[in-house]
Amino acid sequence: MEHVDGARPMTDPPAERSTSSAIRAVELVKTFGDLRAVDGVSVDLAPGRIYGLLGPNGSGKTTLIRLLMGLARATSGRAEVLGVAMPSRPILARIGYMTQADGVYPALTVGENARFFAATYGVRDPAAVEDALRIVELADRSSSITATLSGGQRRRLSLACALVHRPPILFLDEPTVGVDPLLRVEFWSHFRELADGGTTIVVSSHVMDEADRCDELLFVRSGKVIAEGTGAELRERAGTTDLEQAFLRFAGETARTGSDGAESDASGPAPTGSGG
Amino acid sequence: MSARRISALVRRLVEEIRRDRPSLALLFIAPILITGLITYILRESDRPAVHAVIVGPAGPAGSAIGGAVSTALTAQGATVATAADEATARSMIAEGDATVAIVIPAAITAGQAPSFTIVTNGIDPSGEGAQVAAATRALASAAATASGTTPPTIEHETLYGAPGSDPISPYAPALVGFFIYFFVYLLTGVSFLRERTGGTLERLMATPVAQPEIVTGYTLGFGLFAIVQVAILMCWVLGTVHVPSIGPLPAFAIGLGVPISGSPLVAYVVVVVLALGAVSLGIFLSTFARTELQVIQFIPIVLVPQFLLSGVLFPVSSLPEVVRFFVPFMPLSYAVNALRHVFIAGAGLDSPDVQLDLLVLAGFAVLFGAIASLTIRREVA
Repeated sequence: MEHVDGARPMTDPPAERSTSSAIRAVELVKTFGDLRAVDGVSVDLAPGRIYGLLGPNGSGKTTLIRLLMGLARATSGRAEVLGVAMPSRPILARIGYMTQADGVYPALTVGENARFFAATYGVRDPAAVEDALRIVELADRSSSITATLSGGQRRRLSLACALVHRPPILFLDEPTVGVDPLLRVEFWSHFRELADGGTTIVVSSHVMDEADRCDELLFVRSGKVIAEGTGAELRERAGTTDLEQAFLRFAGETARTGSDGAESDASGPAPTGSGG
Repeated sequence: MSARRISALVRRLVEEIRRDRPSLALLFIAPILITGLITYILRESDRPAVHAVIVGPAGPAGSAIGGAVSTALTAQGATVATAADEATARSMIAEGDATVAIVIPAAITAGQAPSFTIVTNGIDPSGEGAQVAAATRALASAAATASGTTPPTIEHETLYGAPGSDPISPYAPALVGFFIYFFVYLLTGVSFLRERTGGTLERLMATPVAQPEIVTGYTLGFGLFAIVQVAILMCWVLGTVHVPSIGPLPAFAIGLGVPISGSPLVAYVVVVVLALGAVSLGIFLSTFARTELQVIQFIPIVLVPQFLLSGVLFPVSSLPEVVRFFVPFMPLSYAVNALRHVFIAGAGLDSPDVQLDLLVLAGFAVLFGAIASLTIRREVA
């Protein structure tokens, strides 16, 4: 996060629309050896909306999120959050990140976990911690040892730790994995409330039935954004009522191998290029 | 007992370990490395160079003995100097210009057993044994030829008085240093690995927390435990509480009661600084480990060599020259040296030896802390 600032192209004045975008990526590429985990992704995400990053396991969703947050160094291309080139440590104070793993300390209590992460974000107000725990309905478990929580409760705590600093940008990496249907509904209503309050949310998921809860979808496959738009738009463009079918169509797949069918190549004709 | 189930277990274990390359390598290579190193040290131990200084051969008998001793020592490859009086000789030893002084009494009467004194530094009792032995041999044969058949009496003194008879004395300071280093490393290495495997480091990296802040936080946090740990261990090693016999119970003592000539507080400071270095070493090495097992595997390749090369058991002065080259890179060697100075020579914070050792130890802590800060990111990305 130190040296990249110098590499920021000086020739690029803030584009007219970048002033209004919350998250922007230009031709982001990340390679691991021969693998192009993220392969030329350009996106422009507006504030206050929920974006669904949909794609099979291993399609590069997590890597894309990590690039957007500046946690991984892009091989080429660039990412901006709130108009600031990533990686940037100060801007991390305005980003919440719920990792795929729970990422909480099992030996600490619920309250201690939330207070610890609040402190790392520089939050001093104890009310912020209480609010975050109230949102995920763990306020009454504040003094429980985290290791004794159920899986769903740990997930909720993980979300609370991503919210303690009331970030305007929220990255949620598979937030509902292992979460029961009831809790899933609650999660999504929280996400919607936050978005209504102006928070930009990027949610990754490989479950298509969550897609309709997002304002906009980005289909990700083999490191590329193969389509983006609202659920309705994507269905219409693909000529199907089923999003899963739409994904497969965009991915150039006809065989019904399920969304995990990572076949030989992703050369399928993506109707929209990545939307930069 | 089902052979099928047991063989499934066996196969699973073999597959698991087979894919854990670092474990596999260490399983086979580490024992070879360590046994090889120990064998090499013992077989190739250099006889430490003897720099003798002969004091005051007065009178013809004394001169004859002095000459004979000098010849005998020179024949063994020692360098021999002379000093006018014992004080000069002692200061030469303190300065490092000589390793052993042989004091020949002013008056030697024929037919009467002469009484000689051998003086060594005393900081490294096990290492100085060779010096004393060489001097004793030369002296005994010289005295026998020069003054008739009466065997001489030879006393061994160190700069800090007579060498203690407590066999643990030379080892206690070194062992205190080593075990604190060992446990603090283990605690930090495993904790930091957990931070990584538990996904909390990923999350921490997504906050404005900087890597040097993480390393400093860990150092101070575990430093607190080290401070308590060292305090308890020091009390145990240095203290003795005598419990009188109560009824049928015999009297007994708690604590090792190892003698210390210097200030326990100075020794305490040395060990705490060493421990802080172990924290950053733990963070740094955990970068290269994927499992807790692998953190433990660094012990034979990082900690055991330190144990062998820092004078804990084998005196540094007699290590084979090839191996001795690595001694200055061992943080533990500075702690052992400083602790021996405090325990045996009674050195304080004003001693240049202790000051230098503390400075180097602090330098190691800062250096490894800086390296650890740089490596935290690498493995996350």
